[in-house]
Amino acid sequence: MKYSITICLTIFALLCFHPLIAQKTFGTRNGQIIFQSPTDLDVKAINNEVSSRLSDNGSLSFSLLIKSFRFKMAEMQDHFNTEYLHSNQYPRGDFKGTIANIKTVHFNLDGNYPVEVNGELTLHGVTKKVSTKGNISIKNGKPLAKASFPILVKDFGIKAEDVTEKVTITVSCQYQ
Amino acid sequence: MKKWLKFLLMAGGVSLLVGLALLYWIFNKPHRDVSKEKGIQLTSQQLFDAFRKDEAVANGLYLDKAIELSGTVADVSTNQEGQKVVNFSTDDPFFTINCTFKTDPGNLQPGDSIVFKGICTGYIPDASVVINEGVLVK
Repeated sequence: MKYSITICLTIFALLCFHPLIAQKTFGTRNGQIIFQSPTDLDVKAINNEVSSRLSDNGSLSFSLLIKSFRFKMAEMQDHFNTEYLHSNQYPRGDFKGTIANIKTVHFNLDGNYPVEVNGELTLHGVTKKVSTKGNISIKNGKPLAKASFPILVKDFGIKAEDVTEKVTITVSCQYQ
Repeated sequence: MKKWLKFLLMAGGVSLLVGLALLYWIFNKPHRDVSKEKGIQLTSQQLFDAFRKDEAVANGLYLDKAIELSGTVADVSTNQEGQKVVNFSTDDPFFTINCTFKTDPGNLQPGDSIVFKGICTGYIPDASVVINEGVLVK
């Protein structure tokens, strides 16, 4: 009987004080990610349906659908899906990572917090490690995450050198 | 004018015209207008069930297709480009059908029953089925 009570109390204490229980997670289904060629301003695709989660323990994830990208030119959008990103075969892009300096971000205090993000980006079926600097601004307790970083399309097996060798990925996610 | 030169000039002129027409078409090809397409009629729950059961099969049926979706609005918001977005609820509290309007649907409120037509762009596990470029049917 004594053992049972001790075990129950231990489990209760673990549940109460386990960091996962205390963790706060923010989410959005309508974050924005822009793919932009640095050499040709017409090559710009916007996705406003990015699903993302940000936890105050530093974990960060993004998931998007390649077919959700919109170009100004319909023909360019078709080529992007069929010839370069092969969106039927690889329908999603994902990022899973962590904020290295999450302890400097005070989610309960409005302000701007520079962050360093490390993680793995999967695009076109290829996963690569990426690191970038970004910014989290807190307003009324709600975080807005912004970052911008370049990738080489050939690193992800995308044969688009005739259009652009580099793409700048710009992230802007307002969390709820 | 020599016959071969005349032929060469004509061929050059025709090639130039074809090239210009092709460029014009590339730069001015209109985007899909879902309001002119017949949509596949589904409820938000039916669409969610299809993707939950088998994503590959559901992609084959609905990806890139015009979907006419009826359901109850769970929430209404505006994205960073100023477009209105509604989420339709499903029986999974963490999963919605995320629908973005390309034209303003007017005043919508959570709890409204609406019919939305847009293009299905796929499934994000544990989050949503996404439909965009949409219009309000009723």
